[in-house]
Amino acid sequence: MTDTRDASLAEDLSLIDRAGEQAPKMLEKIFAAAQPGAVFGQPVESGSYTLITASEVTSGGGFGVGMGRGPAPKPDAKQSPPAEAERPAGKQSIGGSGFGGGGGSMGRPVAIIAIGPSGVTVRPVVDVTKVVLAAVTASAAMLGLRRAMRRAAKGKS
Amino acid sequence: MDVVAAREASAEPVTVHDVTVTPWSRALVVRWPKGGFVWNRPTAVLVEQDGQARRIPIVDVTRILQVGLLGLAILTAGASLLGCRRRTGGAA
Repeated sequence: MTDTRDASLAEDLSLIDRAGEQAPKMLEKIFAAAQPGAVFGQPVESGSYTLITASEVTSGGGFGVGMGRGPAPKPDAKQSPPAEAERPAGKQSIGGSGFGGGGGSMGRPVAIIAIGPSGVTVRPVVDVTKVVLAAVTASAAMLGLRRAMRRAAKGKS
Repeated sequence: MDVVAAREASAEPVTVHDVTVTPWSRALVVRWPKGGFVWNRPTAVLVEQDGQARRIPIVDVTRILQVGLLGLAILTAGASLLGCRRRTGGAA
Protein backbone atom coordinates (compact mmCIF):
# COMPACT_ATOMS: atom_id res chain seq x y z
CA MET A 1 0.00 0.00 0.00
CA THR A 2 2.85 2.33 0.82
CA ASP A 3 4.32 1.66 -2.60
CA THR A 4 1.06 2.61 -4.33
CA ARG A 5 0.85 5.80 -2.31
CA ASP A 6 4.45 6.69 -3.11
CA ALA A 7 3.89 6.01 -6.82
CA SER A 8 0.80 8.22 -6.85
CA LEU A 9 2.64 11.02 -5.06
CA ALA A 10 5.52 10.67 -7.51
CA GLU A 11 3.04 10.98 -10.39
CA ASP A 12 1.60 14.15 -8.88
CA LEU A 13 5.03 15.64 -8.38
CA SER A 14 5.99 14.67 -11.91
CA LEU A 15 2.89 16.45 -13.21
CA ILE A 16 3.81 19.56 -11.26
CA ASP A 17 7.33 19.38 -12.66
CA ARG A 18 5.97 19.12 -16.22
CA ALA A 19 3.63 22.01 -15.51
CA GLY A 20 6.59 23.99 -14.24
CA GLU A 21 8.41 23.29 -17.49
CA GLN A 22 5.46 24.24 -19.70
CA ALA A 23 4.51 27.41 -17.82
CA PRO A 24 7.57 29.55 -18.70
CA LYS A 25 7.18 28.59 -22.39
CA MET A 26 3.54 29.69 -22.33
CA LEU A 27 4.37 32.94 -20.54
CA GLU A 28 7.16 33.59 -23.02
CA LYS A 29 4.65 33.35 -25.87
CA ILE A 30 2.25 35.73 -24.11
CA PHE A 31 4.94 38.33 -23.39
CA ALA A 32 6.35 38.09 -26.92
CA ALA A 33 3.42 40.32 -27.90
CA ALA A 34 5.12 43.15 -25.98
CA GLN A 35 7.90 43.33 -28.60
CA PRO A 36 7.59 46.07 -31.25
CA GLY A 37 8.03 43.40 -33.92
CA ALA A 38 4.60 42.04 -32.98
CA VAL A 39 2.98 45.36 -33.82
CA PHE A 40 4.71 46.23 -37.08
CA GLY A 41 4.70 43.88 -40.05
CA GLN A 42 7.53 43.19 -42.44
CA PRO A 43 7.91 45.88 -45.16
CA VAL A 44 6.13 44.94 -48.38
CA GLU A 45 7.09 46.53 -51.69
CA SER A 46 4.27 47.39 -54.06
CA GLY A 47 5.32 49.35 -57.13
CA SER A 48 7.15 52.44 -56.01
CA TYR A 49 5.73 52.16 -52.49
CA THR A 50 6.96 50.29 -49.42
CA LEU A 51 4.15 49.45 -47.03
CA ILE A 52 4.34 48.56 -43.32
CA THR A 53 1.24 47.50 -41.41
CA ALA A 54 0.78 48.70 -37.85
CA SER A 55 -1.56 46.66 -35.65
CA GLU A 56 -2.76 46.71 -32.09
CA VAL A 57 -1.93 43.42 -30.41
CA THR A 58 -3.52 42.08 -27.23
CA SER A 59 -2.43 38.87 -25.60
CA GLY A 60 -3.15 37.22 -22.29
CA GLY A 61 -3.32 33.96 -20.45
CA GLY A 62 -2.74 32.06 -17.28
CA PHE A 63 -2.37 28.64 -15.79
CA GLY A 64 -2.93 26.81 -12.56
CA VAL A 65 -1.87 23.61 -10.90
CA GLY A 66 -3.28 21.86 -7.92
CA MET A 67 -3.12 18.64 -5.97
CA GLY A 68 -4.82 17.21 -2.96
CA ARG A 69 -4.74 14.11 -0.76
CA GLY A 70 -6.88 12.79 1.97
CA PRO A 71 -7.93 9.66 3.82
CA ALA A 72 -10.10 7.29 1.88
CA PRO A 73 -13.73 7.26 2.93
CA LYS A 74 -14.87 4.40 5.14
CA PRO A 75 -16.05 1.57 2.92
CA ASP A 76 -19.68 0.58 3.27
CA ALA A 77 -19.66 -2.98 4.59
CA LYS A 78 -22.99 -3.83 2.94
CA GLN A 79 -22.14 -2.63 -0.55
CA SER A 80 -18.41 -3.19 -0.80
CA PRO A 81 -16.81 -6.50 -1.55
CA PRO A 82 -15.33 -8.26 1.51
CA ALA A 83 -11.73 -7.43 0.59
CA GLU A 84 -12.59 -3.68 0.48
CA ALA A 85 -14.46 -3.79 3.73
CA GLU A 86 -11.57 -5.45 5.54
CA ARG A 87 -9.16 -2.60 4.74
CA PRO A 88 -8.43 -0.41 7.76
CA ALA A 89 -10.03 3.02 7.20
CA GLY A 90 -7.78 6.05 7.47
CA LYS A 91 -4.60 4.21 6.55
CA GLN A 92 -5.35 4.38 2.83
CA SER A 93 -5.16 7.78 1.19
CA ILE A 94 -6.55 8.96 -2.10
CA GLY A 95 -5.79 12.07 -4.02
CA GLY A 96 -5.44 13.71 -7.36
CA SER A 97 -3.78 16.50 -9.19
CA GLY A 98 -4.38 18.60 -12.24
CA PHE A 99 -2.87 21.25 -14.42
CA GLY A 100 -4.69 23.62 -16.70
CA GLY A 101 -4.14 26.81 -18.58
CA GLY A 102 -5.48 28.98 -21.29
CA GLY A 103 -4.74 32.04 -23.28
CA GLY A 104 -5.36 33.95 -26.41
CA SER A 105 -4.22 36.82 -28.52
CA MET A 106 -5.86 39.28 -30.85
CA GLY A 107 -4.59 41.66 -33.48
CA ARG A 108 -6.31 44.55 -35.23
CA PRO A 109 -4.83 46.71 -37.99
CA VAL A 110 -4.62 50.36 -36.96
CA ALA A 111 -2.72 52.04 -39.78
CA ILE A 112 -0.58 51.53 -42.84
CA ILE A 113 2.73 53.33 -43.17
CA ALA A 114 3.40 54.09 -46.82
CA ILE A 115 6.88 55.14 -47.93
CA GLY A 116 6.74 56.43 -51.48
CA PRO A 117 8.11 59.02 -53.86
CA SER A 118 5.95 61.71 -52.25
CA GLY A 119 7.31 60.97 -48.77
CA VAL A 120 6.03 59.03 -45.78
CA THR A 121 2.31 58.93 -45.02
CA VAL A 122 0.38 57.16 -42.27
CA ARG A 123 -3.06 56.05 -43.44
CA PRO A 124 -5.51 55.00 -40.73
CA VAL A 125 -7.45 51.75 -41.07
CA VAL A 126 -11.07 52.11 -39.93
CA ASP A 127 -12.86 48.97 -38.82
CA VAL A 128 -16.35 49.86 -40.08
CA THR A 129 -17.96 46.77 -38.53
CA LYS A 130 -16.73 47.70 -35.05
CA VAL A 131 -17.82 51.33 -35.42
CA VAL A 132 -21.29 50.36 -36.73
CA LEU A 133 -21.71 47.81 -33.93
CA ALA A 134 -20.77 50.46 -31.35
CA ALA A 135 -23.23 52.94 -32.93
CA VAL A 136 -26.08 50.40 -32.98
CA THR A 137 -25.41 49.35 -29.37
CA ALA A 138 -25.23 52.96 -28.16
CA SER A 139 -28.42 53.89 -30.04
CA ALA A 140 -30.30 50.87 -28.69
CA ALA A 141 -29.18 51.64 -25.14
CA MET A 142 -30.25 55.29 -25.46
CA LEU A 143 -33.65 54.38 -26.93
CA GLY A 144 -34.20 51.78 -24.22
CA LEU A 145 -33.36 54.27 -21.49
CA ARG A 146 -35.62 56.92 -23.00
CA ARG A 147 -38.54 54.50 -23.19
CA ALA A 148 -38.01 53.37 -19.62
CA MET A 149 -37.96 56.98 -18.42
CA ARG A 150 -41.15 57.82 -20.36
CA ARG A 151 -42.89 54.86 -18.80
CA ALA A 152 -41.68 55.92 -15.37
CA ALA A 153 -42.87 59.51 -15.95
CA LYS A 154 -46.32 58.29 -17.12
CA GLY A 155 -46.58 56.04 -14.09
CA LYS A 156 -45.93 58.98 -11.74
CA SER A 157 -48.42 61.36 -13.41
CA MET B 1 9.89 42.43 -12.01
CA ASP B 2 7.03 44.97 -12.05
CA VAL B 3 3.46 43.81 -11.87
CA VAL B 4 2.37 46.58 -14.22
CA ALA B 5 4.78 48.14 -16.69
CA ALA B 6 4.35 50.51 -19.60
CA ARG B 7 7.23 50.69 -22.02
CA GLU B 8 7.84 52.43 -25.31
CA ALA B 9 10.13 50.73 -27.80
CA SER B 10 11.22 51.14 -31.38
CA ALA B 11 11.14 48.48 -34.05
CA GLU B 12 13.85 47.84 -36.64
CA PRO B 13 14.36 50.98 -38.78
CA VAL B 14 13.40 50.64 -42.45
CA THR B 15 15.47 52.55 -45.00
CA VAL B 16 14.05 53.17 -48.46
CA HIS B 17 16.25 55.30 -50.75
CA ASP B 18 17.21 58.24 -48.55
CA VAL B 19 14.37 57.92 -46.03
CA THR B 20 14.72 56.05 -42.74
CA VAL B 21 11.52 55.18 -40.93
CA THR B 22 11.59 53.97 -37.32
CA PRO B 23 8.25 52.74 -35.97
CA TRP B 24 7.51 53.16 -32.26
CA SER B 25 5.08 51.23 -30.11
CA ARG B 26 3.90 51.39 -26.51
CA ALA B 27 3.17 48.23 -24.55
CA LEU B 28 1.28 47.79 -21.31
CA VAL B 29 2.40 44.60 -19.59
CA VAL B 30 0.59 43.17 -16.57
CA ARG B 31 2.20 40.17 -14.89
CA TRP B 32 1.02 37.94 -12.14
CA PRO B 33 2.68 34.77 -10.81
CA LYS B 34 0.80 32.38 -13.09
CA GLY B 35 -0.03 34.45 -16.13
CA GLY B 36 -0.04 37.83 -17.74
CA PHE B 37 -1.58 40.28 -20.13
CA VAL B 38 -0.03 42.43 -22.86
CA TRP B 39 -1.58 45.34 -24.76
CA ASN B 40 0.75 46.64 -27.43
CA ARG B 41 -0.15 49.40 -29.86
CA PRO B 42 1.68 51.55 -32.41
CA THR B 43 2.23 55.15 -31.39
CA ALA B 44 4.28 56.92 -34.04
CA VAL B 45 6.85 56.73 -36.79
CA LEU B 46 10.07 58.70 -36.75
CA VAL B 47 11.01 59.83 -40.27
CA GLU B 48 14.61 60.85 -40.91
CA GLN B 49 15.38 62.49 -44.24
CA ASP B 50 18.08 64.92 -45.31
CA GLY B 51 19.38 65.14 -41.74
CA GLN B 52 15.99 66.18 -40.43
CA ALA B 53 13.74 64.10 -38.20
CA ARG B 54 10.00 64.39 -37.79
CA ARG B 55 7.55 62.35 -35.80
CA ILE B 56 4.24 61.30 -37.37
CA PRO B 57 1.71 60.04 -34.80
CA ILE B 58 -0.34 56.93 -35.55
CA VAL B 59 -3.97 57.64 -34.69
CA ASP B 60 -6.34 54.75 -33.94
CA VAL B 61 -9.45 56.13 -35.65
CA THR B 62 -11.58 53.07 -34.83
CA ARG B 63 -10.84 53.37 -31.10
CA ILE B 64 -11.55 57.14 -31.13
CA LEU B 65 -14.92 56.56 -32.83
CA GLN B 66 -15.81 53.75 -30.41
CA VAL B 67 -14.93 55.84 -27.34
CA GLY B 68 -16.68 58.87 -28.85
CA LEU B 69 -19.89 56.91 -29.37
CA LEU B 70 -19.71 55.53 -25.83
CA GLY B 71 -19.19 59.06 -24.47
CA LEU B 72 -22.10 60.37 -26.54
CA ALA B 73 -24.35 57.59 -25.23
CA ILE B 74 -23.40 58.33 -21.61
CA LEU B 75 -23.91 62.10 -22.10
CA THR B 76 -27.30 61.58 -23.77
CA ALA B 77 -28.37 59.19 -21.04
CA GLY B 78 -27.33 61.68 -18.36
CA ALA B 79 -29.11 64.56 -20.09
CA SER B 80 -32.27 62.47 -20.53
CA LEU B 81 -32.20 61.47 -16.89
CA LEU B 82 -31.83 65.11 -15.80
CA GLY B 83 -34.64 66.21 -18.14
CA CYS B 84 -36.92 63.49 -16.82
CA ARG B 85 -36.23 64.46 -13.20
CA ARG B 86 -37.00 68.12 -13.96
CA ARG B 87 -40.27 67.24 -15.72
CA THR B 88 -41.46 65.09 -12.85
CA GLY B 89 -40.31 67.61 -10.24
CA GLY B 90 -37.48 65.51 -8.91
CA ALA B 91 -39.77 62.65 -7.98
CA ALA B 92 -38.52 60.29 -10.68
